[in-house]
Amino acid sequence: MIRFDNLSKRYEGGFEALRNVSFEMDAGEMAFLTGHSGAGKSTLLKLLMLIERPTSGNLLINGKNLNRLPRAKVPFYRRQVGVVFQNHQLLFDRSVFENVALPLQVAGYSPADIGRRVRAALDSVGLLDREQENPIALSGGEQQRVGIARAVVHKPKILLADEPTGNLDPQLSAEIMALFKRFQDVGVTVLIASHDINLINRMNTRIMRLNQGELEQDGVSYGGY
Amino acid sequence: MATNSQSRDSNQRGARGNVISRGDKWRGYRYHHRSTLQTSLQKMLREPFQSLLTIVVIAIALTLPTALSLGIDNMRQLSGGIEASAQISVFVKKGARPAAVEEMASQLKKLSGVATVTHISAESALEEFKTLSGFGSALQYLDENPLPDAFLVQPLLLSDAARLVGEIRDMTLVDDVQIDMEWLQKLESLLDIGRQLSLALGAALGVGVILVVGNTIRLAIQSRRDEIVVVKLVGGTDAYVRRPFLYTGLLFGVFGAMTSALMLVILSFWLEGAVAELAGLYHSQFRLRGLGLGGFFALVGAGGVVGLLGAWVAVGQHLRSIEPR
Repeated sequence: MIRFDNLSKRYEGGFEALRNVSFEMDAGEMAFLTGHSGAGKSTLLKLLMLIERPTSGNLLINGKNLNRLPRAKVPFYRRQVGVVFQNHQLLFDRSVFENVALPLQVAGYSPADIGRRVRAALDSVGLLDREQENPIALSGGEQQRVGIARAVVHKPKILLADEPTGNLDPQLSAEIMALFKRFQDVGVTVLIASHDINLINRMNTRIMRLNQGELEQDGVSYGGY
Repeated sequence: MATNSQSRDSNQRGARGNVISRGDKWRGYRYHHRSTLQTSLQKMLREPFQSLLTIVVIAIALTLPTALSLGIDNMRQLSGGIEASAQISVFVKKGARPAAVEEMASQLKKLSGVATVTHISAESALEEFKTLSGFGSALQYLDENPLPDAFLVQPLLLSDAARLVGEIRDMTLVDDVQIDMEWLQKLESLLDIGRQLSLALGAALGVGVILVVGNTIRLAIQSRRDEIVVVKLVGGTDAYVRRPFLYTGLLFGVFGAMTSALMLVILSFWLEGAVAELAGLYHSQFRLRGLGLGGFFALVGAGGVVGLLGAWVAVGQHLRSIEPR
């Protein structure tokens, strides 16, 4: 599903965020991306969202090379990907419902379809009864769950999350992670960047550790830490 | 997939649910356009003072050239009436034989560029003079008719008049030719200058409207920066991001043009009394001609186009720079 092929990213100014990173993820696989801040986690996710383009190497999704995707096609690629942000990126000028509906509106779904799918997504994160509220009235954990609902409402093949539990207490974090696990169970490829080592160790899933832009470790066991 | 029917539904829409049928897409697209228009309107109403200010500025910029152009149209309509009376008076030498006068009438008719030729015999001219001048009884004491035979020659075009005067003057029996057309030609060229001026003013103020709308849209783009970033992140195309701003520009242009039409109506009401009084002094049926229905739609169309252009300029400049980081 996801394949990084000897990929490097150098920013303007010479900073090398990623160096010769290679890995593969199968469809329906879940993995954590970890490492110190500045190790390249966010850059890797940005490459997957096509916010950044690699300096060298290839990035293949479903066998298709993203390097060859023209700018005009980028939105259509992004519709196959769901993204959860640390700062959740919710819009406070509209209701929870409208926030979650955004990916569907953008893709041109009909209003009836939107209503059905948004409610299904809100139901899956346990916020169905809050759809008319403004997200600003919700707690941090609830806001993050709205962000997750928005990321999965269009049933993406790939779900990316950048520090989704960054601001949450351990119990809420565990709940959020369990939620991601449920999406993996229905066949979504899930990649989560996190430095919450305690939590990750308990999950018993694949862990990729980045260090100064290089993929240092890749495996289920998290030996040594 | 809680129930059977739901899973069947999902199969029809593709295994992963991100395939939509063409009919659904079209419905969604129409719905999106309608709701974009609605939200654009709501956003304008949310800042009524700011929006009104923009609309009034656009209205004034549209009213100035339109009023000038309407004024010139009215003048032209008026001068058209005068043009019709721009006849050439041809006076026949006294003592010309009636047969020669008739011969001359047919010669005049044969000249190119002549619309009509009216013969006013010396007798009928005298009759007319008697009744109109009030000297009726005094004229009875004259031994003979002092007035000559005359022709009124109506040229087809005002521009032919000068040539016709020359040709008629060369005819043997002609005593004198009179036409008062120099001032008409002056008026004509003055109106042409006015027309050019209104076009230039319209172009300059059109650019002004584009800049005003562009600036308003630029501010709107900046205030919706977060939204634009999120929309781009969840797969909104450039066209999708652009659309609400283009609608806003279009609405500003159209509302500005409608306000401008209202201003023109008020202006013509205000002028109507004075114009009617002036027309009365000249025994004229002249009435101010307003924009009319066609003119109204043309104005609204023009307003919409410049509003859209202004939004397009702003969107082209500022939207590309807003990308997710």
